[in-house]
Amino acid sequence: MTTEPILQVTNLTVQFGGVIACNDLSFEVSPGELFALIGPNGAGKTTLVNAVTGIYEPKPGASVKFCQRNGETTELLNYRPHQISRMGIARTFQNLGVFSAQTVLDNLMLGRFMHERTNILHYGLFTSVAVKKELEARKVCQAIVELLDLEDVRDELVSELPYGIQKRVELGRVLAMDPHLLMLDEPMAGMNAEEKQEMVRYVYRIMDEYGTSVFMIEHDMGIIMAIAERIMVLEFGREIATGSADEIQVNPAVIDAYLGAEN
Amino acid sequence: MEILASTFFDFGINVQLVVGGLALGAIYAVVALGFVLVEKSTAVLNLAVGEFLMLGSYFGVAFFMERQTNFFVGTIVITAVMALFGLVIHYGIMRPMVGQGFFAIVLATIGIATVIRAVVQMRFGPLEKGNLTALPTGTIEVAGTNIRWVDIIVLLVVAASVAGFLAFYSLTRTGLHMRAVASNIEAAAGVGIDPDRAYALTWAMAIGIAGLGGVMLGHFTPSVNPALAAIGLRAFPAAAIGGFTSVGGSIIGGLIVGVIEQLAGGHLGTKWREPVAFGILFLVLIFKPTGLFGQKDLERV
Amino acid sequence: MSEMTITDTSTSGSSSVKRVPASLRVLPFLVALASPLILDNISWNPFAGWKILVGFILLIVVGKFAWSTAERDPDNPRLALKLWHRPDQRALTAMTCMGLVAIPFILGTDFDPPMDFPWASWFRIVNYIVLFALGAGAFNLLAGYTGQLSMAHAAFLMIGTMVGAHVGLIWGQSFWLCLPIAAVAGAALGALFGIPALRLRGLYLMLATIGVHFIVLLGWKEYLVHYFGFGGVRFNAPNLPSWLHWVPGINPEDGEFLINTQFRWFWLNLTITTICLLFLVNVIRSREGRAFAAVRDRDISATLLGINVARSKLVAFALSSAMVSVSGCLLSYYNRARSEDSFNLEQVLDYGIIIVVGGFMGIQGAIFGSVFFFALPMYFEWMREELPFISDIDFFSRYAGEVDLAIRGILVVVVLVWRPDGLAGLWQAAKNRLLRQFQNSQAGAAQ
Repeated sequence: MTTEPILQVTNLTVQFGGVIACNDLSFEVSPGELFALIGPNGAGKTTLVNAVTGIYEPKPGASVKFCQRNGETTELLNYRPHQISRMGIARTFQNLGVFSAQTVLDNLMLGRFMHERTNILHYGLFTSVAVKKELEARKVCQAIVELLDLEDVRDELVSELPYGIQKRVELGRVLAMDPHLLMLDEPMAGMNAEEKQEMVRYVYRIMDEYGTSVFMIEHDMGIIMAIAERIMVLEFGREIATGSADEIQVNPAVIDAYLGAEN
Repeated sequence: MEILASTFFDFGINVQLVVGGLALGAIYAVVALGFVLVEKSTAVLNLAVGEFLMLGSYFGVAFFMERQTNFFVGTIVITAVMALFGLVIHYGIMRPMVGQGFFAIVLATIGIATVIRAVVQMRFGPLEKGNLTALPTGTIEVAGTNIRWVDIIVLLVVAASVAGFLAFYSLTRTGLHMRAVASNIEAAAGVGIDPDRAYALTWAMAIGIAGLGGVMLGHFTPSVNPALAAIGLRAFPAAAIGGFTSVGGSIIGGLIVGVIEQLAGGHLGTKWREPVAFGILFLVLIFKPTGLFGQKDLERV
Repeated sequence: MSEMTITDTSTSGSSSVKRVPASLRVLPFLVALASPLILDNISWNPFAGWKILVGFILLIVVGKFAWSTAERDPDNPRLALKLWHRPDQRALTAMTCMGLVAIPFILGTDFDPPMDFPWASWFRIVNYIVLFALGAGAFNLLAGYTGQLSMAHAAFLMIGTMVGAHVGLIWGQSFWLCLPIAAVAGAALGALFGIPALRLRGLYLMLATIGVHFIVLLGWKEYLVHYFGFGGVRFNAPNLPSWLHWVPGINPEDGEFLINTQFRWFWLNLTITTICLLFLVNVIRSREGRAFAAVRDRDISATLLGINVARSKLVAFALSSAMVSVSGCLLSYYNRARSEDSFNLEQVLDYGIIIVVGGFMGIQGAIFGSVFFFALPMYFEWMREELPFISDIDFFSRYAGEVDLAIRGILVVVVLVWRPDGLAGLWQAAKNRLLRQFQNSQAGAAQ
C-alpha cells in the first residue's frame, strides 16, 4: 500500500459573487481511509465536493490532485466533471441523485456506463459485443443488488420506493462505478436510527469488499465520531480543525463553533 | 436578395416601414403579452395564442362587418367574450392537467388551437374575408411621407390598453396577487392568495388581450383569413427579447421585432420576414437566453 | 341507466357489492366501435365473413403457440436481454406480425369486403401510418427519452427529401443509395442543430429550434427554386435492384420491378420502418438509452456517472434526425411530389400529437399514436358517408374537413386530460389487468 494520498486538495477557494463558500482549504485523504467532513449548515461542505468533482470552478491557485487506481496522479482541475468521474471518483447527492423514472436495476446499470464502452451501432444492432457488455454489467449489478439487499425491489421503479431504499440505490449506483474514492454527501440525512445503522454497515461492507476510500459529509455527530478515522470541521468556509475523533471532541474551537451550539 | 441602395437609404420609405413596423410590432406586443402572462404565471406554453388572435379577428368580422356594431361597443364585447373563453380554458382544461409534463400541456393548447380553427372555418368558411373597416381608412401626411390612419390608431389603442393592463397589473391588489402567484406559487398560497383564482384571472386577461389584438389585427391586415393564426408564432421572438418573464420587456420586444421584420421585408423581399424574425429569436436565445430584460434563475445542485 | 346503478349499489350493501368485471365494463365501448359493422350487416357477404373468421382463428392459434413456447426462467440474464421473451410479449408479437402480413392482402387484393369501406384509400392511410410511426418514434427518442424538444424536425424531413431529390434526380443515382445518404446527412445536420441543446433546455430549446426551422425552410425554398422551379419536385418510382428479383412474389416486367403501387410500397415502408424502429428500441434499452434518460432527468447526476452530457445529447439528436431524414426521403418518394410548403411547423406538431396521444414513454406509443392520428379521420369519413343516421345530417358532409379537425382537437385534449400516459399507457393497463385476471383464474384452477 502506497502512502501517497488518494486525494490532495490545496488552497481551494470557491467564491460566488461576494460569498466565499470555501476559503483556502487544504487537506488530504489517505488510501483506505474514512474521512469525514462536518460543519454547520452553509459551511461550504457540499460546495467543496462540487469543486472536487468539477461542477464548480475554484479560484486560480488551487490544486486538487487525485491518485488513480493505477497509481497515476492527475490534477483534477484541468478536467470536466464526466472525465473526473471516469478517473474513479463517485459521489452521491445530498438531495438524492437517483433517476426515479427508471428501475433499480437500470439505475445500477447506469453506474456501469463508463465501463461498457462500445460503439452505439453495436447497441442499435444488438450485436454479440453489446450482449457481452450488457451481461457483464448485469453481473456486476447483480452482485451489488445482493450486497445491498435490494433483491426484492430490483425491477421496481425507484420513484415507488421509500426514501431509505432510494438512498441505498444511490449508494449502489456509485458502487457500480467501481470508484477509487467514494464521496458521500449526507448519506444518512432524513433517516431514522435504524436506517442509519444499516447504512453504516453498508459503508463498512463496501470499504471491506471493494477497498474503496470514503469521504463523507454527515451531520450525525454520534455516528461520525464512531466511524471516521479523521475528521475535518468547517465553519463559514474555513477549516477550523482536522484530526481524529478524540482530538476533535476536545478541540476548543470546534466545541465553541459547533458542538457547543448543539448542546 | 439584391439590396437597392436607393431604397435602402430612402428616408421616406424607411419612415413608412418603421411606422408600419411599429403598428405590426404593437400587435406582436399584444400577442407576446398574452403569451408571457400565461407562461410566467402558470408555466404553460400557450401555442394557441395565434388562434385566439384569429378568433378575435373573426369576432370582428361578425360584429363590425355583419352587424355594423359600433367600434367601441364591439371591441369591449369581444374582449369580454374572449376573457370568458379564457376562464373556460382554465377551469375546463388547464386545471385538470396540473402536474402533467410540460410538453403534454403544450399539446393540449395545440388541441385547443385545432378546435378553434375548425369552428372558425365552420362558421365563416375557409375563404378570406376583407379586412375590417370600422376604423377610418386613408392616410395622413407626416414629414413628407404617407402614413395610414389605421397604423396610428392601432398603435394608440394598443398602447392605451397595454398601459391600462400594466396599471392594473402593477397597481391594484388583484394585480399584486397575480404577480405574487407568478413569482412564487407556494409563498403566495402561504400568505392566503388563492392561486387558482389568480390563474383563472391570468387566463381571462391573456385571452381577452389576444381578442383585442385580434380586432386590431383585423383592421391592419389586407384580409381576415384562417392563416392569420400564424402570427401567434411571432410571440416567441418578442417574448424572447423580454426574457419570457418580463411583461414590459415583451412589449418592447414586440415593437423591435415588428420594425426589424418590416424593414427586412421592405428591403430584402417578403420571404425574408420569417427567417429574420426567427433568426432574432435564435440569436437572442443562444447569446442572451435571459433576454434583454429578464432575470436570471439560479439553480442549486 | 345511471339511476339504476345507484340503486343497485345502495340496496346490495357496501360489503357484498359485486363489481362488474372489467371485461364487461369495456363491452359498451366495443359495441359502439363495432356498431358500424352491426348496422351494416345487410351488405355482409357470408363468404367474406367466413374468411374473417378463419383469419381470427388462425391469429389465436398462432398467438397461443407463441405463448406456450416461451422460455420461462426469470433468473437467466441472457433471456432478459431478449426483446420478446415473456409469453404475452411473444404472443402479441406473433399476432402483430401475422396481422401486418395480412393487411396488404386484405386491402390490396380483390378481397370482397363485408362493408363498404373505401379500401383503396385505407391502404394509403396504412402506408402513412407506417411512415409516420418511424418519424414519430425518432422524434420520441429525442423528446421523450432525452427530454430535448426539437421543433426542427420538419427540417430533417426536408433534408431527407433534399438528398432524395439531389442524389436521385439530379445526380441520377439509385433510390437505394439515397436512403443511406439521407441517414448520414440527417445525422450530420442533427448533430449540428443539436448544438443549441448544449446551452438551452426545455422551452428555450424548443423556441430556438423553431428559429432553426424557419431559417432552414428558407434554404429549402431557395434550393427548390434554383434546381426545380416553382412547380416543386416530382419523384419517380423506385426500381427494385435486380439481385432481389428472385424473391418469391416479385415478378419483374421488362426486367424492372417498380415500386409504384400501395401494395408494393407497404412492404418497403414496413421493412425500413421495422429495421429503424428496432434499432431505436435496442438503443433505448441498452447503455446509450439509459444515458439518454439520465440526461433527461438529472443532467448533473448524469455527468457524475461519467456520462458526457453534451455527447449524449448530440448522439440523440443525430440518431433521431437520421431516422427522420430516412422517413422524409421515403415519404417524398411515396408522395411523388414535394413543393415549397411541404414542410411546415405543423408537421412537427403532428409528431408531437402522435407521441403524446400515443404515449410519451415508448416506441409503442409512436405506433399507437400514428394509428390514432390517421385511422380516426378515415373512420369518421366512412361513418359520415355510410352510416344511415349520420349520413343524413347535412352539416357533417358540408363541413367534413372541419368536423374532423374539431373532433381530432377535442380528442387530443380529452386523451391528455384523461389519460396522461396516452394510448400506450391505456393499452398496458388493460393488458396487465387481463394478464392478472388470467393468472388468478389459473391459480384458482390449480387449487
